[in-house]
Amino acid sequence: MKSGKRPVLKLPDITAQSLVTVALVSGDLHQAAAVYGIAEPGARHELESILFGERRNALTLARWEHTPAAVLQALARLSDNAIRHRLEKNAGTSGRTLSQLYQSESNSGLVGLIAQHRHTPATVLESIAAGSQDEAVLKVLATNPSASAKALRTLASRRPGEFDGALASHPSAPADLLESLYASGSDYVRAAVVAHLNCRKRVLAQAAIGGDPLVLRHLASNPRAPAEILARLARNPDASVRRAVAANPTLDKGRLAALADDESEMVRRAVAGRDDLPPAILARLAKDADHWVRQRIARQPGTPLELLNALANEDNAEVRRAVARNPKCPASLLEKLACDTHAWVRAAVAYQPKASPGLMKILSVDKSVDVLSGVAANPHSPQMLIRRLTQSAEADVRRGVILNPSASRQTLRLLLQDPYYLHRVLLAGHPALQDEDKWPLHDDPDPTVRFATMRWFAGKVPAKRRA
Amino acid sequence: MKILVAVKQVAALDEDFEFRDDELDVDEDFLLYDLNEWDDFSLEEAMRIKEASEGEVEVVVVSVGPDRVDESLRKCLAKGADRAIRVWDDAMEGSDSITVGRILAAVAKKEAPDMIFAGVQSSDQANASTGISTAAHLDWPHAAVVAGLEYSPGASKAVVRRELEGGTLQEVEVATPSVLTIQLGINKPRYASLRGIKQAAAKPIEEMSLGDIGLTPADVGADVALSRVRRMYVPPKGRAAMIEGTVAEQAAKIIAIIKEYKGE
Repeated sequence: MKSGKRPVLKLPDITAQSLVTVALVSGDLHQAAAVYGIAEPGARHELESILFGERRNALTLARWEHTPAAVLQALARLSDNAIRHRLEKNAGTSGRTLSQLYQSESNSGLVGLIAQHRHTPATVLESIAAGSQDEAVLKVLATNPSASAKALRTLASRRPGEFDGALASHPSAPADLLESLYASGSDYVRAAVVAHLNCRKRVLAQAAIGGDPLVLRHLASNPRAPAEILARLARNPDASVRRAVAANPTLDKGRLAALADDESEMVRRAVAGRDDLPPAILARLAKDADHWVRQRIARQPGTPLELLNALANEDNAEVRRAVARNPKCPASLLEKLACDTHAWVRAAVAYQPKASPGLMKILSVDKSVDVLSGVAANPHSPQMLIRRLTQSAEADVRRGVILNPSASRQTLRLLLQDPYYLHRVLLAGHPALQDEDKWPLHDDPDPTVRFATMRWFAGKVPAKRRA
Repeated sequence: MKILVAVKQVAALDEDFEFRDDELDVDEDFLLYDLNEWDDFSLEEAMRIKEASEGEVEVVVVSVGPDRVDESLRKCLAKGADRAIRVWDDAMEGSDSITVGRILAAVAKKEAPDMIFAGVQSSDQANASTGISTAAHLDWPHAAVVAGLEYSPGASKAVVRRELEGGTLQEVEVATPSVLTIQLGINKPRYASLRGIKQAAAKPIEEMSLGDIGLTPADVGADVALSRVRRMYVPPKGRAAMIEGTVAEQAAKIIAIIKEYKGE
């Protein structure tokens, strides 16, 4: 960016015009991109000379994931195929821009990019579904979550059998389409159909009669599967089917006891991961031979204190860590686990929102970066302690301070010169800092920081005063 | 005591790009320039020696390239390098890595460092030969792919750990002055402080011409290069498809594909 020309912008004067003026005078690409959306039409024209004056800048912006939609929209006016290509791939390109690009797009490969873009409007996708002859284009369209039921029906009727797998998995697939796919599809297609939330009950019932474990496994995972079907599947000889039943949130609690005693640890793990376990099952699974099962029980908020105490004495560090992460873990256990020999367990205590300020003080002299990062991020850490951690040589620890919702303005100000640019990006949008703290970041050496800062200030300009 | 760190500004590619009309390189509009990743580690290693030393150690970074290279050299200055040298003359255009080694050796003769560090390779060209070529032109000992270093300023030898196949390390004693090519992961490179960046912006970058280092246009450039690029292109992509369906359906599709290839 040009040096020595930056006008001093007084904070009370922050307006669309003043921010745009700063960007224009600096000639900085990233500042210009940040304020483009709030500029008046005349100023936009001037900003465009910074943004698009050099082709390499335009190419950079067309690809950059942070480029604002308004800038991408303006880029769409340029007749440059390389730029169009990047716009059609850019996740930030708006539906409006994509519609505009589609109107003039003749290259089938580029239409394919539009067909797979999440922001492409449903009407454009319907038009592509009805008109495109390109198999690759239609294939990516079938997997686009923005495609409507109408577009999916069109694909199914134009190219029967070609995209059945994608259509059966599509969240917008309508019940009638799913039913016809089930009738004609392979086991993979039928499995996707019976896992679908729009699948009709009669199709689910039909699937339950079959014996293919793949289909039954997907059926068992469907929250809409009737209770009687789940009951039958809970006795299926295939463990993967029983596991899917055990993980189904609508499963009748009466079925849990048998599944908790299942011979397969996969099934018992699925049971242990549920949030509706009665005390008897919690107690049984807390003594399970599989440590993953015990670990999941240790994380359950409903696990009684005596079980947590027992699990906290486990040899397996992952289980002890799970106890420390339990949102209901009592202070007495946290104190014990804070002295654990395993740093990963102590780190869990350091991140625990229930840990007391006294415990944080003890952990703040730990040597482990993981533990210190937790202390830095813990809202119960005393401010004085958090402030000390701003001086840590470890970026992870300093980032913990920035992410701590209790970090005060005075503490965060100590990090405004942090060497790691992403920390400065985070501070540019931090709610605890005031405008005068953030403003110096607008001409930071790092372009991402400059962009984030100017974007944050541009966001403060009232919408009615924007162009 | 002086350590010369040879650095390079490398070009990174976006996933979509266009070639130049002559098909010898990528269109410059599609290139993003940055300091070579290996050189970050070389510089850090030099900085650590400097900071651990009780005596005075000067870290000098040197690069061969046009004006735009200044940005990468300033990055090195921001991280603590004492001086930065950029060598360029239009006649150097087209120099291969062996010739760049000749240029760096000429700078070394002028600067008289006690050690030279270079990255194992550059991320854009991956010749892995510039550092070794520099040693050859100087007739200095060298060690490549250095993943660990024990060296005290003024010592007559350094002990290096070289990274070899299969995760093995080779501990080697090397006489100094020498050229070491530094491997990724030997240390944890620092971020430049904001203060360092601001100070670096005000520091001069010394520009050296061919004459300054005792070379002539006949010593450099495409004409003396031992290799040249004939063409750059993207090879045709292979095709792959997931064959779905029942076992019988999959078998039928595979038979159809085989027949298609056999022209039946």
